[in-house]
Amino acid sequence: MKPSSRQICFFLAAVAPVGKLVLMPAQLAADAGNDLLFPVLAQLVLQAALIFCVLLLARHDCTVFALVRRAAGDVAARIFAVLLAAFLLFFAFLPVVEQKITVRSIFYDTIPAHLVFAPFFLFSAYLSARALGSLGRVWDILAPLSAVGMAGVLLLSVGNADFGALAPFGAAGTGGFIDGIRRTCCWFCDSALLLAMIGLFPYRKGLAWKGTLCYLGGGLALLFFLAVFYGVFGEIAVLQTPAFARVSAFFSAATVLGRIDYLFIFALAFVMTFYVVLPVQEAVGTLAEAFGGASLLPPLLSVGCNALLFAAVSLLNLSPSQTISTITGTLFWIFPLFSAVLPLVLLALFGRRQREKIS
Amino acid sequence: MRALLPAQDILSFAFSDEKGRAYVCLFADALTDKDLLAEQVLRPLFSYAGAPDAQAVAENTLSPEVRTQTSLSALAEEVLAGNPVLLWEGADAGLIVGTKKVPVRAVAEPPTDVAIKGPREGFIEDVKTNTSLVRKRLKTGELRVEMLTVGRRSKTVVALCWLEGTCREEVVREVRAKLSSIDIDILPDSSYLTRFLASRPHSLVKQVGTTEKPDIFCAKLAEGRVGLLADGSPIALTLPYMLIEDFQSGEDYFVPAFRATFTRFLRLFALLVAIYLPAFYVAAQIFKLQLLPVKLLLTIAGSIRDIPLSPSLEMLLVLLVLEVLNEASIRMPKYVGMALSVVGALVLGETAVSAGFVSTPAIIIIAFSGIGLYAVPNLIEETSVLRLLMLLTAGSLGTYGILLLSALVLTYLVSTENFGVPLAAPFSPLIPHDLRDSFLKYNLRSMKLRPTALNSPNKRRQK
Repeated sequence: MKPSSRQICFFLAAVAPVGKLVLMPAQLAADAGNDLLFPVLAQLVLQAALIFCVLLLARHDCTVFALVRRAAGDVAARIFAVLLAAFLLFFAFLPVVEQKITVRSIFYDTIPAHLVFAPFFLFSAYLSARALGSLGRVWDILAPLSAVGMAGVLLLSVGNADFGALAPFGAAGTGGFIDGIRRTCCWFCDSALLLAMIGLFPYRKGLAWKGTLCYLGGGLALLFFLAVFYGVFGEIAVLQTPAFARVSAFFSAATVLGRIDYLFIFALAFVMTFYVVLPVQEAVGTLAEAFGGASLLPPLLSVGCNALLFAAVSLLNLSPSQTISTITGTLFWIFPLFSAVLPLVLLALFGRRQREKIS
Repeated sequence: MRALLPAQDILSFAFSDEKGRAYVCLFADALTDKDLLAEQVLRPLFSYAGAPDAQAVAENTLSPEVRTQTSLSALAEEVLAGNPVLLWEGADAGLIVGTKKVPVRAVAEPPTDVAIKGPREGFIEDVKTNTSLVRKRLKTGELRVEMLTVGRRSKTVVALCWLEGTCREEVVREVRAKLSSIDIDILPDSSYLTRFLASRPHSLVKQVGTTEKPDIFCAKLAEGRVGLLADGSPIALTLPYMLIEDFQSGEDYFVPAFRATFTRFLRLFALLVAIYLPAFYVAAQIFKLQLLPVKLLLTIAGSIRDIPLSPSLEMLLVLLVLEVLNEASIRMPKYVGMALSVVGALVLGETAVSAGFVSTPAIIIIAFSGIGLYAVPNLIEETSVLRLLMLLTAGSLGTYGILLLSALVLTYLVSTENFGVPLAAPFSPLIPHDLRDSFLKYNLRSMKLRPTALNSPNKRRQK
């Protein structure tokens, strides 16, 4: 079972933006203030270009592991697979923490025990052991759900937004812009996620363009959300996490109807659950391909990876803000290595070979 | 021959023809039309003076359904199946006469699939009658009916039906192979077959379509599916199955498209409410009170104030009572049913509330959920289990538990395939063309092609 190119487009347009709605808006508000749209715009354009490159690589119809093996041999490819899997697990850490914050704030009135979050890892272990095709099929269902959730949240909150709060443009200066870009690197890694998927879906003519446009479409929705978010909260936006669950809380009919916005928030939280599992699934897939053989390997790897993540989340449970700050501030450089440098290097190596083959 | 058929309900009738040759006719007492046997076979043979070979004897009978067989065990099997066997002095083979007469009930409207508009005929327990109901609607040479036998002892006849050129050959082959590989003692009902035909036999979700109505059965054959009719069962099976089929009722095709669309969405809503409402009620009470509007919250708070049980235990108790009532009302004789309704609704419901064991909202929610479940009657087994699982999860993990369980169920559903057709099609994988007959129901004239998911070799059904 392989995901189709349409499912890849659905992921880029509707699932990937949802992963950026929890902590990133508040982080951006802290770094770039009312100019929070500009760093995101820059990141989106950069990511779109990288996604285009990755989708060009997908024309080879072989996985990133196979590409590296072709270029550098078996041993180097295995080392690369371990490094990529480690990066994917590292990348998964922040979405898992975000998921935990979301769960705490939208699903419970009082802070629940840490163990309440543990069943997520059981679900993640189940899904990570499956082929990517299962996730692809889920994206078919998630795409409309994400669209409805996003539209609902925006519809219920746009009335309370004061877009004047976004003015004057450029108030944060170049420093704010650069800080905004630097600190959001950990959220804009979609090209790395896509890179780990190449070869696992069939490339159809025009997918590179379609995928890039879909990503930009999802990015536009994200920009609009950020504008509404800052419009609703203004300077206190830095305190509003998870952003997507806070932004519609002031809907005027909530006192009569109850928090009907929760329907849309739950829809987005549902989509997010699958987004969080994706890097873990890819890490398992990459390791299974590199060290494959036994059919029991993917389930074992899945259990191992999820146990590792659970341990990491449990250990860092006491100081989540420092952990997040370290990832977004100190370790930010790791993310462009895999989301920008790696795809470009692979494109430089194999893009030319492809042209030679064609000529 | 008698050694093979020692049972007392196997009778024999001995006679001789004009030349004095001895004949014996063996038949199962209750399964043979004796008048027909006498009229079409025995009477002509009394005056027979021709050659003693099977071909000549067969030609001398008036029966349109006569076969010869040399194997004694095969002849014995035919007698047990209800077909009389004729043997005679100097015979090279036995003669099997098709004068079986099985007691059958009349064709009637199936109680589980009542229609206000559209045909009211339903399948019965006789496979021959059922195949005739199908043949009546599909008067085409492309309709293939292959009779297979399943069950070592019951030797139940299973009719494998498909439309040649419309159904994929691989599906027919695979179904035939799976049926042939079944090694079971008896096959009392077609539901036994579903366990053998499913790609995941232990699955919570059904993987074989069922219907009691020949019009629906024929429509499914015309879409490119394979149908199975088992002798002794009024429930026909269709393959490959997609989950959306159970949201479509036969009547949807006889009412305007907008009405059908509305009722399909209504069924979906009812099913979701049936599964999720009790769970969300419990989760909202225990973990997230903000889910409820303030006024409703106050009303509920007033109702549950003196209830000694926890919300999840209270809901489980009411659900258990509903399931018991449901089970008892199905099994109980009809004349006791009225009394049971009174006891169930009034005594258990009203008294339990006034005694303070359970709250009124809990009863309302379970009642609504119970009704909602029957909006999609073919999925009751699956949805009632899901409802219970959701309730247990909500009671222990709250809304997040419901979300995780839903994610798990969704993953399971979208990754299940049977005979190469995904269970969740046309939504996952998304097949835009097939959405025309999903929750949306397009006008009949817009549905020119057969469902793409079934990959029929004959794609077009109307011009």
